Amino acid sequence: MSPTKRPKERIGVYVCHCGSNIAGVVDVAEVSAWAGKELEQDGVVVARDYKFMCSSLGQELIERDIKEKGLTRVVVAACSPHLHEPTFRAACARAGVNPYLFEMTNIREQDSWVTTDKIEATKKAKALIAAAVGRVAYQKPLESLYVPIDPNVLVVGGGVTGIQAALEIANSGQHVYLVEREPSIGGHMAQFDKTFPTLDCSACILTPKMFDAGNHKNITLLTWSEVEKVEGYIGNFTVTIRKRARYIDESLCTGCGVCWEKCPKKVVDPVFEAGLGYRKAVYVPFPQAVPKYPVIDRENCTYYLKGTCKACEKFCPTGAIKFDQQDEILTVKVGNIILATGYDLFDARKIPNYGYGRLPNVFTSLEFERMTNAAGPTLGKVVLRDGVTQPKSVAIIHCVGSRDKNYNNYCSGICCMQSLKFAHLVKEKTGGEVYQFYIDMRTPGKTYDEFYQRIIQEGANMIRGKVAEITDTARHPSEEGKLIVQVEDTLVGKQRRIPVDMVVLSAGLEARADAKEVAQKFGISCSADDWFIERHPKLDPVATMTDGVFVAGACQGPKDIPASVAQGAAAAARVLSIIGQGEIEIEAATAIVDEATCVGCKECIASCPYQAIQYLEDKGKAYVQEALCKGCGTCVGTCLPKSISLKHFTDEQIVAEMIGAMQTMKSFETVEAA
Amino acid sequence: MYEPKIIGFLCNWCSYRGADTAGMARMKYPPNVKIIRVPCSGRISPELVLRTFREGADGVMVLGCHIGDCHYSTGNHRTAKRMPVLKKLLEYSGIESERLYINWVSAAEGEKFATVIKDFTEQISALPPFVETMK
Amino acid sequence: MSDRLSSLRETIEKILPDVDGVIALRTGPGGIVAPYLFSKEHPGELAELALWPKEPVPDTLKIILRAHPDAKLAIVCRGCEERGIVEMFKHAQFSLENVTLIGLQCDQQEVESCQCFKPFTVHAKLTVGQPVEGVRDPLMAKVMAMSQPEKLAFWKEEFSHCIKCYGCRNICPQCFCNICALEDEKWVETGRLPMPNPSMYHMVRAMHMTAKCVGCHECEETCPADIPMAVQFRLIARDVKEMFNYEPGAVMDQKPPQLLVLEEGEYENTGLPH
Repeated sequence: MSPTKRPKERIGVYVCHCGSNIAGVVDVAEVSAWAGKELEQDGVVVARDYKFMCSSLGQELIERDIKEKGLTRVVVAACSPHLHEPTFRAACARAGVNPYLFEMTNIREQDSWVTTDKIEATKKAKALIAAAVGRVAYQKPLESLYVPIDPNVLVVGGGVTGIQAALEIANSGQHVYLVEREPSIGGHMAQFDKTFPTLDCSACILTPKMFDAGNHKNITLLTWSEVEKVEGYIGNFTVTIRKRARYIDESLCTGCGVCWEKCPKKVVDPVFEAGLGYRKAVYVPFPQAVPKYPVIDRENCTYYLKGTCKACEKFCPTGAIKFDQQDEILTVKVGNIILATGYDLFDARKIPNYGYGRLPNVFTSLEFERMTNAAGPTLGKVVLRDGVTQPKSVAIIHCVGSRDKNYNNYCSGICCMQSLKFAHLVKEKTGGEVYQFYIDMRTPGKTYDEFYQRIIQEGANMIRGKVAEITDTARHPSEEGKLIVQVEDTLVGKQRRIPVDMVVLSAGLEARADAKEVAQKFGISCSADDWFIERHPKLDPVATMTDGVFVAGACQGPKDIPASVAQGAAAAARVLSIIGQGEIEIEAATAIVDEATCVGCKECIASCPYQAIQYLEDKGKAYVQEALCKGCGTCVGTCLPKSISLKHFTDEQIVAEMIGAMQTMKSFETVEAA
Repeated sequence: MYEPKIIGFLCNWCSYRGADTAGMARMKYPPNVKIIRVPCSGRISPELVLRTFREGADGVMVLGCHIGDCHYSTGNHRTAKRMPVLKKLLEYSGIESERLYINWVSAAEGEKFATVIKDFTEQISALPPFVETMK
Repeated sequence: MSDRLSSLRETIEKILPDVDGVIALRTGPGGIVAPYLFSKEHPGELAELALWPKEPVPDTLKIILRAHPDAKLAIVCRGCEERGIVEMFKHAQFSLENVTLIGLQCDQQEVESCQCFKPFTVHAKLTVGQPVEGVRDPLMAKVMAMSQPEKLAFWKEEFSHCIKCYGCRNICPQCFCNICALEDEKWVETGRLPMPNPSMYHMVRAMHMTAKCVGCHECEETCPADIPMAVQFRLIARDVKEMFNYEPGAVMDQKPPQLLVLEEGEYENTGLPH
């Protein structure tokens, strides 16, 4: 780039002392004097240093210069633009300079705080300012784009989190599509009997919410359904949903239950009953299911397998059985999406030394939940796998699949409290001995530690130690016929073998097996453990990097019920605040195609992570849909004739910035050589 | 001994913030690298890197989010495919391919950022000035 | 050669009535061989059908299809030309819906002359001649055997002969942009000969040839200074094949890898840090 082509602009440079944060290392007076003199040819008409540029006085300094000296561009050398770029952009805008004609360079985090040598730090500041001055002349004013928000909302996942989110939004008067993969909403919470630490009945508190969600005039409930495709962007998503065939005509079904009463086919229920109980081939997963309509399990239904039976059809009083029903594909338009897809339980079979699946009386936490549930397969009785024998002693193993480098490094958060709850239920229902095997006790919630103390009072044996093995091989007559828990009791400092009748594995929480796929579908990211990644772990916990897509509950990381409900409500609040705005500002620094030079090779289209670039068939050119473009510039890095450019990060701007830095560095060399 | 001139192209969301993190922790590193902020490492075209060498840079760094953590989902995947090819071209052209450095630094990795800068500056210092070798 | 010529003529004669024209080489006045559109209206012209020397026919196809998008055409193409056509098709430069490819397999002598790695077609349904094995350009090994300073000196010497005629770009069937980064002062210095070292012109061009160069050698053939520039393209093509399993022109619906997300296992091939 030749200096002759450089736009003639009037640039102001402002060097911040940041108290002594910058001025203690960088010679700010020298830097601003240098900029005023050496960068004059690049258009700098004023260069000042000031104690705190971000203060109102500092900002006024800029505003006054803009008006009095007719500045057309502003450069501030201070802290990170992540901190104060918005501050100075606003100051420029107030004085009538478009915010995108401002450039900030970082001489604190990336210079004074990291450089020991004061002379070197001062030189670096000069190079950085020259770079910013180089670029700012090429910057162009940009106007923000606004798009209207479709007030409808999609909530994916009908567990307690999704229900909470859906209800909050529906109650405010907005419409919600609540999509659930299983035949009923309710999620994991519907499977539990008691909830910690209050021991209130899970169904008693959840069922009313399920009922509300199922009957709300603002909620379209789509169970036995899955999202297939998501297109569009915040405010304007088009979602394709597959509503799988239930083989039941919902308009005729009354949910009377005759069909599942008459169905002759009993099937092990691997989902709701965790494999511990049975259901029929036509079923509702549990009596309080919402909606009340059953589904026919095509894989197990005798009619689909052998072509005869149809008992359900014969006995259905309303003729609601429809064996020829087809999947329905629905397309809905929504402005925002909340993902509340929950978790999977860690598969305890992966730890062979704990014997789950091999030793019959080793149970998972979910099996135990079902067992203690009065409506569950054992009608609430705690019994061994034979279905009758009450255990006299029960071992509860914590951290199964959690805090273990072989499986998951993280703490699943809920297992300590869940295990304490189990201890209480064992005591209550059997009066037997309970042993808790833990690595550390973690009870940080409100009244959680009080619950822990209560369980100790109730007589649970707390043994600190990671269980090495659960075996049925007796070494001593007293161990015959028992399960032996081999552990080092690290408080006593001794190896122990504790014979028990039953073992409950407090399995950890894992991201859903298809979390990656779902994340891809919705354009969000997963952590290494496949949990959905929030926008900011502290300050923006339910938003994601994709505008208009929110996450809530255990799909973002292990969580107990109160935290999940809070997140469901939080996500709803975030969505409602967006709907309330009516329209939303989208990225101004988007890509743009120069049609005159575009050769229509489609390389940018393939390289866009957001499918934001279209091919105009009639013109044979690429076209950027601004509302979809997030401004990454990957297309620009690809385009060979450089027909596509990214506003605010154009080649001219970046090259001028680089040249500014390079030339300054070279000038120091020349001085030193001389 | 000379002071190598290095340009670092850093993505706005991970690496630039990683540099900020290093600053906040007051980690010290050599001043040779001048940082240019871009939205995504995927924005960096081979032409920009080549132009930086043409301008006399002794080394060029391209730092982005870790693969899988890109703010733009998969913008950095393109970096991971484009830049290795450019390194190869440097090699075939007789230019030390280590003059072009690609790595991933997250917003939390202030320490890694400082280490990466120190190591790369040292590595480039060990090479003759780029402009000299081109004479 | 005469065998291939007569069987090619027969193949064209057979297809000629069903198409609007067949693009092939013709020996014109003065013995000049050039691409030509044979048509059923002038069947006698097939007497002047020629095989050699090679001409950049993918470009001819593009020019005719741009002017007559609905034309039903056949084109005689060698392996490299077919790859060129496929790459242009992938880059939406034309549709191949109404185009019949007639594959002309190169003979041993032609392969030696071009040092071609893949002298046969893979997509064309109609083919003429027997495919022969390709050869590796020995210059690739020669450059690879050089030390870093030797490579630098080699290219400095080669590129010092470059007079920036842009002939290599103009002849390249893959250089189909309307404007060219090589003409932009931002990327390539203007008005300096011999060009400064390193050569921005040749390096930017080499990057643009990534996953695009089909190995047709037109650039080297046309270069008035005999610069073996395509050696770099070929070395890079070998890397792209190893890293991302991509070969220009080989698979009709495979997109260039540098545009796409990393596939399982690809990152490990890039040599980037973990």
